[in-house]
Amino acid sequence: MAEALIEVDDLSVTFRSEHGRTLRAVDDVTLRIAEGAVLGLVGESGCGKTTIAKCIAGRVAPSSGVVRFDGRELGLKRATEDRRAIQMVFQDPYSSLNPRMTVRHVLSELLRVHRLVPRADIETRCRELMSLVGLPRGALDGLPSQFSGGQRQRIAIARALTVEPRVIIADEPVSALDVSVQATILRLFEDLRSRLGLTVVFISHNLAVVRHLSDRVAVMYLGRIVEQGDRESVFSDPRHPYTRALLASAPRLHQIELVRPTVEGEPPSPIDIPTGCSFHPRCPRSEEMCTRDRPSLEPVGTRAEHFAACHFREEKSPEAPEEP
Amino acid sequence: MTPVLEVEGLVVEMRRHRVAFRAVDDVSFALEPGSALAIVGESGCGKSLTLRAIMGLLPNRGRLISGRVIVDGVTLPSDARGRGRGHRQHRRMSIVFQDPLSALNPVATIGSQIAEAPRHVLGLGRGASRARAVELLRLVGIPDPERRYHAYPHELSGGTRQRVMIAIALSSDPSILLCDEPTTALDVTIQTQILALLADLRAERGLALVFVTHDLGVVSQVAERVAVMYTGRLVETGPTAAVLPAPRHPYTSGLLAAALDVDSPEREPVPIPGSLPDPLRLTSGCSFQSRCRFATPECMTTDVRLERVGPDHEAACLHSDVLAAAQAAGRRG
Repeated sequence: MAEALIEVDDLSVTFRSEHGRTLRAVDDVTLRIAEGAVLGLVGESGCGKTTIAKCIAGRVAPSSGVVRFDGRELGLKRATEDRRAIQMVFQDPYSSLNPRMTVRHVLSELLRVHRLVPRADIETRCRELMSLVGLPRGALDGLPSQFSGGQRQRIAIARALTVEPRVIIADEPVSALDVSVQATILRLFEDLRSRLGLTVVFISHNLAVVRHLSDRVAVMYLGRIVEQGDRESVFSDPRHPYTRALLASAPRLHQIELVRPTVEGEPPSPIDIPTGCSFHPRCPRSEEMCTRDRPSLEPVGTRAEHFAACHFREEKSPEAPEEP
Repeated sequence: MTPVLEVEGLVVEMRRHRVAFRAVDDVSFALEPGSALAIVGESGCGKSLTLRAIMGLLPNRGRLISGRVIVDGVTLPSDARGRGRGHRQHRRMSIVFQDPLSALNPVATIGSQIAEAPRHVLGLGRGASRARAVELLRLVGIPDPERRYHAYPHELSGGTRQRVMIAIALSSDPSILLCDEPTTALDVTIQTQILALLADLRAERGLALVFVTHDLGVVSQVAERVAVMYTGRLVETGPTAAVLPAPRHPYTSGLLAAALDVDSPEREPVPIPGSLPDPLRLTSGCSFQSRCRFATPECMTTDVRLERVGPDHEAACLHSDVLAAAQAAGRRG
């Protein structure tokens, strides 16, 4: 693969649960993120997508494996410029903004502490940041409670941009927003990416959002990446049954008849990961070998940019789920 | 067919900073046995309050100003909070909320919570209500119901908890199920399972459904009728198959244009300009006019009401024909 800005190799994160058992949140994940690209990380709750993001941002220590940025290995303790280079934006901007600080206070403090601009230019820079995220200059005097959800998310993005990052990791940034507002924030991400050349890791459970915004997509299930590739390969010809199930369940605007579920049951607990392929208990395609052998992420056919962790990855997407 | 539920002219006032405003303004609809209506709108539009007012569960800050709720032809008695004083017809309705964990009793087994209504409302004996709870657990698709009867809510996943909530809602044998975003907190594969369960219950038990959601993608899967709500009012109602492909209110059309569709990734979502008006500062005329590209001076003065725009299809817009023409031109171009 071409040179990547972020390289994640064999990353695993385990947490200790209350009864001394081990919870494997991230299991042997390898990822490459090219500079200026948007990687969509998809999966359902508890699949480990946020934990990966936190490892990249240096907020969670990996149990094993490495995170490299620009060719250098990054641990939990990072130099100031490395910390500045990777910024996170969260789902709920209200809980991630100090309710007693005006927007100007938040931004100017960052500019001062990091000595990003001369003191005299702080106000100018604050105004530039506001216009960058599409807020009026007057918003600088506001407190978080005075803004709507979409405006708060813009403020959170402005705060992340204050320290001039190269990478933004956005964790479900539009999930709490109404549809009409969602579209404006997605546009903002597209705009920032083209204007500032930002690299974006976009975490979402919403496939429509990910398909719209990403160049590459990684689908996670129970701590593992089960399918990865360029957007169109993954969405138009998914090769992992879990990706297919996700796509089949995605809400569609113009589908009048009811979608029957293609997968049964619920994801098992990450404390008790099934043997073999961890998706086999719910998989419509599973066979005896799936209960024993864990498939690794392998290329699909001769495609250079499409990988799936399924024994049957060479089978083309069926129109309907197979009968058992 | 005679409707199982009729809602007439429902008006709810909410207080904020000691100022009252109309959070639900003249909402009316009717529901036939076994049919389903989806109420769709963005946060704060009054969709959940409408359900709560019907159910008699208004919050302290809310007051039922006027309106009638008629179940099986009988008007439910109600006080200012919308409470129905345990009327027999009232038990024909049940409600399912978005967050089952906060609606379930954390220190009681799920079985005992399901058995409560059969025992105390339907008057069954201890053994019979227990058997009924087990049967309901099986009905909502929970495997191994005899064992799960003894589980506590915290031991269950979000999807299973929502199944338990549905079992509780069904335990008093209602004919109407009110659903307040029951799948919003669930993962998509689980959402599909719950929606399929609700569809089966409708088909098998003739249950009528009012389904409140913010997700247009869910609407087409749960209900054959849709009502779009904006600032407390229904702005468009009609058959889902007619409204979603050819909306006749600019707000509905704006919502559809802003939504992303997983099948058409290249289509740019178009945000609705402006933001939701402050409910305390609503001016006269159409509440959507400041954000509407079809607005004319008349829209600021005319009190627009739902008008017929097609078979069984109503919209509250002076310019719904202009919108229809614009859509037709768009399709041709």
